[in-house]
Amino acid sequence: MISLVLILIASLFFMGIIIRTKSITSGRKGPGIFQPMKDIVRLWKKGAVYSETTSFIFQIAPSIYFASILMAVLVIPFGSYGGVISFNGDFVFFAYVLALGKFFSIIGALDTGSSFEGMGASREALYSLLAEPAFFILMGSFALFTGHTSFVDIFTSLHFGTYISYALGILATFILIMIAMIENSRMPIDDPKTHLELTMVHEVMILDNSGFDLGLILYGTHLKFAMYGALIANFFTDSFPFYISIPIFLAVQFIFAIIVGMLESFNARFRMGNNAQFIFTLTSLSLLIFFGVLLILKKII
Amino acid sequence: MTNVLLITYLMSLIYLSIANRLMSYVQILAFQGLLLFASSFIELAEMNPINLTFVLLETIVFKTIAVPLFLRYTIKQNNFSREAEPYLPNFVSLIIVTSIIVITFLLSNMIEDIKLNKVYFVTALSSLFVGLYIIGSRKKIITHVMGFLIIENGVFILSLAVGNEMPMLVNSGILLDLFISVLLLGVFLNKIGDVLKDVDVNQLRNLKD
Repeated sequence: MISLVLILIASLFFMGIIIRTKSITSGRKGPGIFQPMKDIVRLWKKGAVYSETTSFIFQIAPSIYFASILMAVLVIPFGSYGGVISFNGDFVFFAYVLALGKFFSIIGALDTGSSFEGMGASREALYSLLAEPAFFILMGSFALFTGHTSFVDIFTSLHFGTYISYALGILATFILIMIAMIENSRMPIDDPKTHLELTMVHEVMILDNSGFDLGLILYGTHLKFAMYGALIANFFTDSFPFYISIPIFLAVQFIFAIIVGMLESFNARFRMGNNAQFIFTLTSLSLLIFFGVLLILKKII
Repeated sequence: MTNVLLITYLMSLIYLSIANRLMSYVQILAFQGLLLFASSFIELAEMNPINLTFVLLETIVFKTIAVPLFLRYTIKQNNFSREAEPYLPNFVSLIIVTSIIVITFLLSNMIEDIKLNKVYFVTALSSLFVGLYIIGSRKKIITHVMGFLIIENGVFILSLAVGNEMPMLVNSGILLDLFISVLLLGVFLNKIGDVLKDVDVNQLRNLKD
């Protein structure tokens, strides 16, 4: 329960911090921290306009997308306190409920019949497909490392101690940050500021959405960022009391947002053709984590 | 600690497979030299001091500074294009290098010898194969030299594993390293550069009847 409340709080200011960081690094003052949230509330007050060529799928897709992210947030634990729902193997549930949402956002985009949106949907599908093995090998190695298969048990019994486990923790944090960037279609993969449909990935899929639906999709992005931030924060908040672990959580979210802002300010977007190999690199790195875990467990000497 | 260094070494091999520019290859080689310096510093503590100093100096001076600088100089001098020019797309290279690492891992797991240090063995063997793959899949002569240097690094890692028991093995590996780097960089490259005015190996194909 506590994790749900904290993630909702973090999602309110996360995007604002990213935008603030980007403004400061480019020498501007920038909007307030809560400005993106205010924009979303404004969108929520509006009605939606639907194209005549679309069917009911286009109308329900944003809601299912948002609901899937909310479901995924429910299984995220906070330290040793479980999420709202928690069972053995819930990280598989986590990955595939997100995939269900992504599937609906993809067929919603295809439903409009616009060629641009079909192109964006194809790219989004490819990138999620390539990022999935990285996440599973990563979580699978941690499941092997701790001997448990649910998020809360994994994070409760995750104890670092040796040099190599610290190295693996840093590597896992890096991979999770990169997976968050891919899932949210942010900078190294996709530029959220671009104005050319041919180079868009996620933005081109939501061109036809408006009003309330657009608000849901945008807030879904904020929630996803806060969700991955919470996953990363769980590496650092092992079984401290609340008055230490909650500031750690907020600090990790804050630093994560600043890192994303920095990445977006100082990195150029990759060429579209190079994205596939970049995402596959994450799988290779998580394989190294897997081998490292085997090393710690003395499965190999 | 050496395990962390060796895992970082494997990561540098993965990066090598997707690097586009020759300069990143040179930087990776320098970085690998640094990793080898650190791991030999930690691993070879029982060696006698003079020999240890020799090994450490070799890794830091030759592997980390001299060879990368000379490669850089050669690239600048001969006006090579900055791309690595692989025969295969980088994505395929990445998959091949990853599967090389996985296969060597499985292979070493089949060996049931307690005395064999598996981490060293996996790193060394995959470094050997990645070096061979780099030689086979890149067009330029200079990248062939770099592939050979990566094989050298693999041999060095393998000799590190037994360095405390057999110091002579490390020394002979280093001598081979010195010899090969001087030979390759000095004689071989300059000759080909002078005679053919170009260092693309595809030009050598014209020599056959």
